[in-house]
Amino acid sequence: MTISLTETQLDALRELANIASGSAAGALSQMLSREVDISVPRALALPIADAIDACGDPEEEVSAVLIGVAGDFGGQVLLLIPPQQGAQICQLLGVEPRTEVGDSALREIGNILGTSYLNALAAMTGLELMPCPPLLQIDMVGALVTSVMSQVAGEEDLALVLDSDLMIAGEQCAIGFMLLPTTGGIDGLLRPLGLGTAAS
Amino acid sequence: MTHARIGEIVVSRDPDDELVALGLGSCIGVVMIDARAQAAGLAHVMLPESGGEDGRPGRFADTAVPELLDRMLALGADRGHLRVAMTGGAAMFGSGGQLDIGMRNAEAVRAALSSAGLRCHAAETGGTQGRTVRVSVGSGDVTVRVAGGTAIDLLGHREATSTGGRAA
Repeated sequence: MTISLTETQLDALRELANIASGSAAGALSQMLSREVDISVPRALALPIADAIDACGDPEEEVSAVLIGVAGDFGGQVLLLIPPQQGAQICQLLGVEPRTEVGDSALREIGNILGTSYLNALAAMTGLELMPCPPLLQIDMVGALVTSVMSQVAGEEDLALVLDSDLMIAGEQCAIGFMLLPTTGGIDGLLRPLGLGTAAS
Repeated sequence: MTHARIGEIVVSRDPDDELVALGLGSCIGVVMIDARAQAAGLAHVMLPESGGEDGRPGRFADTAVPELLDRMLALGADRGHLRVAMTGGAAMFGSGGQLDIGMRNAEAVRAALSSAGLRCHAAETGGTQGRTVRVSVGSGDVTVRVAGGTAIDLLGHREATSTGGRAA
């Protein structure tokens, strides 16, 4: 059985991501007392190797915050913050970057963004989505993203990536925000909208 | 430079070529080299078991190892001269128990090598850091680098000539 998503389904997922990342942007804006804009989200349904390529140079170093999702949904939320931008965010929060306090501030950003993103998704789909405690790791982006994809990947060579950038006004600073659902998770998001993949 | 992206197997006999797997996390890079035949191969393995699915053998340890071996032999490599190395299998976000795919991947690759009758000559697996592996086809050198680090030798040609390279 091969799962392929129609344009309508991808549009619906993109719209879910748009609203949910809007909610995350609002939370970040409150936290930093700055305006936060969001880019138009991408909804990529690609073979896994192509989805990794879409994340840029695999060797580039990033801070990643991983938020597992418990409840009705299979999938993970991943925030990617380039090191310089992580340092800028720490400065905005008045903490020293790449220290224990700085790392904990980034984890907390991840926690708040992830929670508001998931709450918005839950409100739209009726799913029960509970964020797990955030995990922070600084390493090569390819190593981080492939490891998360290995956890959500099933037998299918298909990765669905819903991503958007949160851009902090007045700063050259953006946070990449990704939702990586399992195959079941994709259906879980679409079914409440009457667009489930499980037909036939 | 030839990239082995996730789930892919690449082999080469071009001495100027370099085989590369960038940013291995829980994935494993499996390297096979026959220095005499100037043949090298690299598999970028994602998950331990195929569960019978064989459409993309490079994705799974149990199918990627035999497929890589077949492709090396087809390229003229001699089984008795093969040197094998593996790297990767990290737990990028800390140990995840059942979810520690990196550890399961490393175990599955070792098991697949052993069922193929191959010995692993050098391994650098586990931990919590990502790795990039580079294989120089001409020299047979294999290096591993972690984020922010410098490349270290995993398998060198000097070692290969001094120990002969016959699997135990």
